[in-house]
Amino acid sequence: MDPDPTPYPLPPEPLPMDRPALLAALRARIGRLERAGAAAALARSQAGVVSLSESLDAHLPGGGLARAGLHEILAGEPGAAAGFCAVILGRTGGPVLWIGPDPDAWPPGLMRFGLSPAELVLVRAPRPTDGLWAMEEALRCPAIGGALLSLSEIDLTAARRLQLAAEAGGALGLLLRPDTEDAGPSAALTRWRINALPGDSGSPHQLGDPRWQLDLLRCRGGAPRSWTVTWRTTTDRLDTDADTTPAATPRRRRA
Amino acid sequence: MTRRRAAHPPRLPLPGLGLDDERGARVARRGTLSPCTPCQEPEAPGPAFPSCPEGRGALRPPSLRDINECRGPGSFKLPGGGAGAEPPQTTHATPRRHLALALPRLAVERLGPGGPVLVWRGVGARREVVAVGGVEGVRAGQALSDAQAIAPEARAVEEDAGAEAALLERLALWALRFTPLVALDGPASLPSPPSHQKPSPPQGGRGLGEGGAGVGKRPGKPPDTLTTPALLLDITGATHLFGGEAALLRRAVEGLACLGFTACGVIAGAPGTALALARSGGAGVVPPGEEAAAVEHLPLSVLPIEPEVVTALSRMGLRRIGEVRRQPRGPLARRFGAATLHALEEAAGEVSAPISPIRPLPDFSASREFLEPLITREAIDVAVAALLRALCRRLEEAGRGARRVVLRAHRVDGAVQEVAVGTGLAARDPAHLGRLFAERLERLEPGFGFDRIALGAEATEAMTGLQGGFVRGAQETEDLARLFDRLAQRVQVWRLAPAESHWPEREVMRVPPTTGVLVPEGWPRSVRPVRLLRRPLEVGAMALLPDAPPSLLRIGKIGHRVRAAEGPERIEPEWWRARPDRPGRDYYRVELASGVRLWVCRSGFGAEARWFVQGRL
Repeated sequence: MDPDPTPYPLPPEPLPMDRPALLAALRARIGRLERAGAAAALARSQAGVVSLSESLDAHLPGGGLARAGLHEILAGEPGAAAGFCAVILGRTGGPVLWIGPDPDAWPPGLMRFGLSPAELVLVRAPRPTDGLWAMEEALRCPAIGGALLSLSEIDLTAARRLQLAAEAGGALGLLLRPDTEDAGPSAALTRWRINALPGDSGSPHQLGDPRWQLDLLRCRGGAPRSWTVTWRTTTDRLDTDADTTPAATPRRRRA
Repeated sequence: MTRRRAAHPPRLPLPGLGLDDERGARVARRGTLSPCTPCQEPEAPGPAFPSCPEGRGALRPPSLRDINECRGPGSFKLPGGGAGAEPPQTTHATPRRHLALALPRLAVERLGPGGPVLVWRGVGARREVVAVGGVEGVRAGQALSDAQAIAPEARAVEEDAGAEAALLERLALWALRFTPLVALDGPASLPSPPSHQKPSPPQGGRGLGEGGAGVGKRPGKPPDTLTTPALLLDITGATHLFGGEAALLRRAVEGLACLGFTACGVIAGAPGTALALARSGGAGVVPPGEEAAAVEHLPLSVLPIEPEVVTALSRMGLRRIGEVRRQPRGPLARRFGAATLHALEEAAGEVSAPISPIRPLPDFSASREFLEPLITREAIDVAVAALLRALCRRLEEAGRGARRVVLRAHRVDGAVQEVAVGTGLAARDPAHLGRLFAERLERLEPGFGFDRIALGAEATEAMTGLQGGFVRGAQETEDLARLFDRLAQRVQVWRLAPAESHWPEREVMRVPPTTGVLVPEGWPRSVRPVRLLRRPLEVGAMALLPDAPPSLLRIGKIGHRVRAAEGPERIEPEWWRARPDRPGRDYYRVELASGVRLWVCRSGFGAEARWFVQGRL
């Protein structure tokens, strides 16, 4: 009886005054329209989003980092960024490729962040074109859980290609880039910036668990935000500090 | 996708071909030589080179040539793999047949056409002629000065053993079109010259070859037929593809003539017989069982025995093989050694040593020859795809999968280019193997075109068929293995598996990506960095006490205050592996005031302690 031939079911008729519910339903519908290319891959893999922690998941659209998509990570501090990438990749639940001009990922340390050497495959691509090619081949493969490409510069076309490849294959792609003043436009679903924070152990003889400053700079279908998180190595959990700032400044803070 | 002929002149030009000719001139010249054109089939009707410019380089329909897919003659080596179309051969009953191709004028013909030439070699302080081309009245063994006095117009060229050996190997690759079992026999196969590895410096290469080879031990003697380079082909079971032994022999000799080389070819049962007859300049087919009679009247110099032995025997009046063979064996062996007797028996066909082929025998192969050489990438792609389908069908019939596939493209000028791909898991999907080859085919240089393309599966493994979707996880494993195969064609792919070592750099070792990695319980034993710097960064450090953790790190010119430090963790070198003078290390995990966490080590103790940043935590 609905003459509209849309393939997507219309949301249930909300009450006229329930604006938040109406907005959420519309947002979900737009999200489904935008991610139509990835629908087949997501249905095939039967795996949900990659969950990070309660407060981060609550803020991200879809309740976590979306698979079949590309996410960009600006490394304010290389060690912290590698740890955060390992957390994400370890939770994809499949083989993981770490692609770079000279991949220096060290499995004994990544193990602490939940990425097992049994899942990690390293790929050395000396030239940027080789790296982009390898990343695209990897993302198109439905058998992998995630892939990380470490590179300094990427143009919009190449990033868009990678995003489409991820939508075709269903894996989670990470672009690990050094933190620059102006990171430029992006085709990725999210963009994060990671910086290391001093530990909260309070003792000069104890480092304590790693603490990071996580800035969600850009998020398709969501708002930017900042968190201060601690990686609990004993429980493999990402704990968010209570005193989170409500919104990150879009421009980088001048140091 | 690109026509590469214009941009790339053919590499590896073989001499005697006039490669600087235009293509048209070349075809015309080959037309005049049409009886010995290697790609001309005796039974192929019509003109040898039909003039159809629009079809040049295109793949001909298979009716022009049959696809020649055959298990190699040694296929019996693979038990359980013989589901092929040909009748099962009981190879023990089949006598082996060998073709020897002696190239007596290789030293001269290597230099190509162009005037009289004298090839000389330094023997001590003397320069003596070893090969003569186009000069009357000069024989090998004369002094170069005498020869130049007789023929002042002749060009004098120093012998280059390395280049000759390389050329012989190239010709052996060319001969792979007849049988997969081709061996070199001649100066190159003697345990002497590594000289073809460095072909350019003539002096160094020659000196090495002289010293190590048995060839150089005969000063003052003319080079005899023992040094004649030769190719040895095991043609058992391959002759029917060419219409019999005589036709095969004719094609081989005419093909070499087309490339500009004079060859004497003999087919016999034993390799020694064939070689001896070919080196003596004979030609023809020795029927099975008549080897001893065939070599009866040959001089002893064609045998691979020491020249001193030949001299000694000839002083006794024994100059021919038959005469020596009629002597009692016991005294002969006592006086001249078992090697002499063995050489005689080999020549007479009484014993037969297996040949050592230049390339491993492929388990399965498929090849196709083309009347019209392939030049364009599209044509080559079509041909390779057809061959891959044929090869994979045979693999499937035998229940095996290929781990390594080699493509050999034979160019019309005789050069052979090889392209190999390997797979992580056994594979027999033509599309997958085709994708692996697609990257590598860029490196082929067609030049004037390829007239034969052969594929060989050199390493195969048993592979049972998988029903799609039935075994859970099998599809993922195969997808992953294919991904690694594709990546490995262009970039390095590896895994890092835990290793039995506590030295930080050796805690993991590289393994191929398709191998599984087991992580032991409780590994790693201590906190390790997430990134290990390839080259440790030397830094300055200040500590409050001599053995205390650092309180200030100077990286470059900037000092960083250390907020907290854990350690030390002392790691002693592995004395059974490392250098004995390698110092032990004290590792600290430090956190700078900015929150950056580093893995810092102090190498050595006391006054010679040096500080390094080795990783990021």
